[in-house]
Formats: sequence, structure tokens, C-alpha cells
Amino acid sequence: MFGWIERKIIAKAQYRHGPTYVGKYGILQNFADLVKLFSKASLDLDNADSILYGTALPILISITIFTVLLLPIFPSLQATNIGFGLLLVFVVIAFMPIMIFLSGFASGNKFADISAQRSILMLLSYEIPLMLVIAAIGLISKGYNLQNIIAMQSNAYYIVLMPIGFFIFFIAMLAEIERPPFDLMEADSELIAGWITDMSPAYYALVLFLDYSKVFMSSLLISILFLGGWLGPAPIPGVVWLIIKAIIIAVIAVIIRATTFRMRIDRILRMGWLILIPLSLINLIITYILFVG
Amino acid sequence: MSITRINIGPIHPSTHGVMRLVADIDGDTIERIEPHIGFLHRGVEKLTETRMYMQNPPYMEKLDYLAPMSYDEAYVAAVEQAMGIEVKERAMYIRVILLELQRIASHLFFIGTIGNDLGQMFTLFMWAYMDRDKVLDLLQEATGSRMFYVNMRLGGLISDLPPDFEERALNTLDYIEKRVREYELFIEKNPVFKERMKNIGILTPEKAIDLGVTGPVLRASGVQYDVRKNLPYYVYDKLHFETKILTRGDNFSRYKVRLLEMRESIRLIKTAFKTMPTGDAIGMPVKLRSPPTKNKISIVSREAPKGEVMMYLVADDQKPYRLSIRSPNFINLTAITHLAKGLRMADLFATLGTLDLVMGCVDR
Repeated sequence: MFGWIERKIIAKAQYRHGPTYVGKYGILQNFADLVKLFSKASLDLDNADSILYGTALPILISITIFTVLLLPIFPSLQATNIGFGLLLVFVVIAFMPIMIFLSGFASGNKFADISAQRSILMLLSYEIPLMLVIAAIGLISKGYNLQNIIAMQSNAYYIVLMPIGFFIFFIAMLAEIERPPFDLMEADSELIAGWITDMSPAYYALVLFLDYSKVFMSSLLISILFLGGWLGPAPIPGVVWLIIKAIIIAVIAVIIRATTFRMRIDRILRMGWLILIPLSLINLIITYILFVG
Repeated sequence: MSITRINIGPIHPSTHGVMRLVADIDGDTIERIEPHIGFLHRGVEKLTETRMYMQNPPYMEKLDYLAPMSYDEAYVAAVEQAMGIEVKERAMYIRVILLELQRIASHLFFIGTIGNDLGQMFTLFMWAYMDRDKVLDLLQEATGSRMFYVNMRLGGLISDLPPDFEERALNTLDYIEKRVREYELFIEKNPVFKERMKNIGILTPEKAIDLGVTGPVLRASGVQYDVRKNLPYYVYDKLHFETKILTRGDNFSRYKVRLLEMRESIRLIKTAFKTMPTGDAIGMPVKLRSPPTKNKISIVSREAPKGEVMMYLVADDQKPYRLSIRSPNFINLTAITHLAKGLRMADLFATLGTLDLVMGCVDR
């Protein structure tokens, strides 16, 4: 569903129509693609470590789904409401680049190898600012319980309280889920497709699914942490509010994808260490002075 | 760190055709690069020897499929020189107008592909392609075909311009001029584009002359050389235009010089329309037997969108005895081995993109 929205928006930006053929307004195009990909023969790779290669991607997808389950969609709709919910979410998310690394490394392709190295380099540059922003959120809401975080935002959304934090979090999240301009791992003009170069069609279909679910997951997370989750004026139910907020975030990410050029790996590292980390430290200090001290 | 040897191509999203690069990379830095060409070799030069003079232009057009008319025209001009045929005055103007339109179309394509090379999701490509289509519409009106025109005839063209061509062309050119301004803003306001392009892949003027590169690549390095100015042909010396020179010689100047050239071409076409004489522009019909050749050897040099094209024709009675083509793309390609050393992996393709190669012309 989100895949269709993304395709339509990018098509609009490029003066095209986008999918129109399968279903009403082409809404089933992605499902048709999946069916086609699943019906193709799979490749046997000589150089691949078959166990690692075969398991990394399914683990990656289950991580993403698991993260969505940890998020509170509605007070009564959350798999488990534990005290350190937010920290748990990020512990789980931190596994994603490592799984990409394993998958790329195991496939035995040189392009996938380069892509795997890049994923670890990226991990170094954006994981620290992400964690610092989360620490600031923890400071304001006095704990990492996700439901509590949403409840604390009933007066003012955190995007108002710490705009710098939102800015850093958004950029770092884009990098985390490999959206452009940080899509270095599957940089098509350099590395053909990076870590998915040698994937079989069925696996590639899973990668497509993974891509969309990662965007969905991260935009849900951003709207929960910064835009007040299900909070909103009464007549519309909270779930709808959350979905609307998430879709707005996702659309912004798609527009960024349609218009920016890809950054280079050393520039991303420099940006991570010289801009994002100092900024997130400043954010943390400001938050401490304003809301705690 | 140890050196990895990777094989890029022959089929790769950003080699602009079928080219194979063998790259030795150390981490993310390129140590050495070795282009392998010849995947599109058709033996065009030999083929021309087996055909009558005016049977050859279609082959010439398939050299550079982004700017076919420039090559067609260069070949026909070489034949005209060998036969001692004068081109009609109006035909000269029309040829200049069409060639400049061709240059705009080719440079628009470049603007589009550079976006792809820098990892932009085809947006810039689609925009530039849409505008290129408008230029191709004009060429279609003038010649009857969108891609391969074959509209040059000895001493003139296959047909005169259609009656309301001037008005429509001026409208389109105004539109293109506006769009070029938009591209400039869209691209140059983008910090990622600037840091990806500036001070990367620097080609010094001395090295550029040593390598023999021509066209926008040479002019971006600060060397004043444009065949249209230095060895003027047709009516270029009567028309007002400037040769744009940039001095830095990096990727950004190579992009920028093409953008500026598009503006100059638009100005040039507008002045050409103003000063164009009336009269006859139709060339000789294509016949099986050609007029007798006067002098045996002719050399023609032309400024194609990608660089300097030279046609060296040794004339026989009815067909070329030998035709040698100086391909600007082939010689610009040699710069990549020099430029690539020490570049990062991602910048290699940006640099390759700014050389604006067409493999059909490299391999001939």
C-alpha cells in the first residue's frame, strides 16, 4: 500500500503517471510485482555461505516486524508495555545494519562486500546521535516507557520542545533505514545494487517488502516520539491520527528521495561525527537545563 | 589494506553503454583503472569503403546516437570538399540551426544522466528528457525524423524548413532557456551536488592538451579551443556567440560549461534566424553515380557536442577509398585512466559521467 503511494508521488515529481494498469489506479501493482518475483527461478550462488546468506534476510524482516509490534499503536494495542520499551526498540533496530553486513558479506560478491563495509561505517556515524536524542527524550519524560512518552506529550509535542532533536532524529533515521540521500548500501549507480546484487528474485521481493516496512516502522516511531502518537482532537480516533502523522513523515521521506543526490560515505561520516554528534550533545544539554535542572 | 580488483561492466547502470572497467580499489579509493572497449565495434570505417558516398550517412549517424546529425554533417561536408561542391547560403544557415539544436538536445541528455550518476532517483533525468523531447519535436518537424535524420544532401539539405518553424522554434527555445535556469537553481542550490562535484577529478590544462581531449571537457580546463571559433566553418564567424571557458577543470566546471553552452546555442540560433537569407536550400538528389571527385583527400573538422570530430576522407571514384574518423569520445575516454587515480569509488562514476561518453562512437 505504501509502495503504491511512493511510486505515485515519485511519478508525479517526474511528470509520469506511475502504475495505472493493475487494479483501480494501479493500486495492486506492487502485489503483481511480488507475484512475478516469487514465480521466478532462484539462483544458486557458488561463493555464498548458504546458511548465513539464507538466514540474514528473514531475520532482518522479522526484526522490522518485531519493532512495529513493540510500538504502541493505541493504548490497548501494543505487544508488551515494558518500562524500557524505547531502549528495547533501539536495541532491536541496531541489529538491522549488522544483518545487512552479514548478508552482504555472505553473498561472496565483491559489490556486496563493499556495501557490507559501508553499512558498518554508516552504523558508526548515525547510531551515536540517535542514542543521544533518545537520552534527551528519556530526560524529559523521566523514563523510556513508550506509552508514558506519549502521555507526556499531551501539553506540547516533543517536536516543539526540541526541534534540534527532531531534526537529528529524522536524519539519523533516514540513514538507519537506508533512504536516500543515505542509500549507500544499494547505491545503484556505483555498486549495481550493493548487498542485494546477487539476490534471487524471491529474496529480492522480500527486500522490497522490507524497504516499505522499514519506512512504515520508522515513520511510526518518529510520530510516536515527536508528534504525540495517537494524541489529537477527539472526533477522529487515535489510531487514525497516528497513521495520518506517519504517512506525512513517510511522504516527506519520499519527496527527499525524489529530489536529492546521494551522499558520499566519507561525507556521511564527517557529517555524523562533526555535525550530528555535537548538535545532539547540545540538544541533550539544553533539554537538561530547560526541563530537569 | 589489501587491494581488491573489481570488474565494473560491461553491463552496469552507469557506464553509459557497454564498457568494461577493471578497477583496483584500496578500501574505497581507486588505485588504478583500466577501460576495456570494443563491445560495440561494427567496423564502420571499413563498411564505408564498400558503399557509395551517399549511402554512408546512416552509418555515420549511428556513431553517436545522442547527436547523430553532427556526424552525418561532418561526413557529408568531407564528401562535398572532395567533390568541390559549394553549399548553398541558406542551407548553411539551416545546417547551423539544426546542429545547434542537436547540441542542446545532447547537453540536455547530459544534464539528465549526471543526476543518475550522482544517485538521484531519475527525477532530473526525466525532466531533462522531457525537455529534450521538445527539441526533438523541432528536429522532427524540420527533418521528418526524431532520432536518425539523414537529412544532409550534397550542397544542401533534403528539404527546407517548414513555414512556421521559426516561430515554433523560438517558443521552444524560450521554454528551454527558462528550464535551463531552473536546472541551474535545482542543481547548484543542492549542497550534496556541490560537494560531490567541486574539486573532484581535476584535469589541468597542460594534461588536458597532452591527452588531446576536446570539446566541453577541454574548455572546462581553461583552454580556449572551439572549432566553431578557431577554424570557423559555415556561417559561424558571422554569428554572434561566445566560447565559454571555465578554469577549474573539475567535475563541476565540466557540468557548468555544458549548461553555459546551451545558453550560447540558444542565442546563436536566435541570431541565425534573424540573419537567415531566403532562397534555395535543397541539395542534390541522391543518385547512384556521384559527381566526379576533384581533389583526392579531404579533411573536415567539426565541433560536435562531445568534442572535435574529424573526418579524413581519401576519395576514390564512386566510394571512399579510406575514411578515418576522429572520435571525440574515444579520446575523451583516455582521460579517465588519468583522472580516476585516487578518486573514491562513488566519484569515479560522477567523473565518468562528466566526460559524457557515447560508446557507439568510442568503438566505431
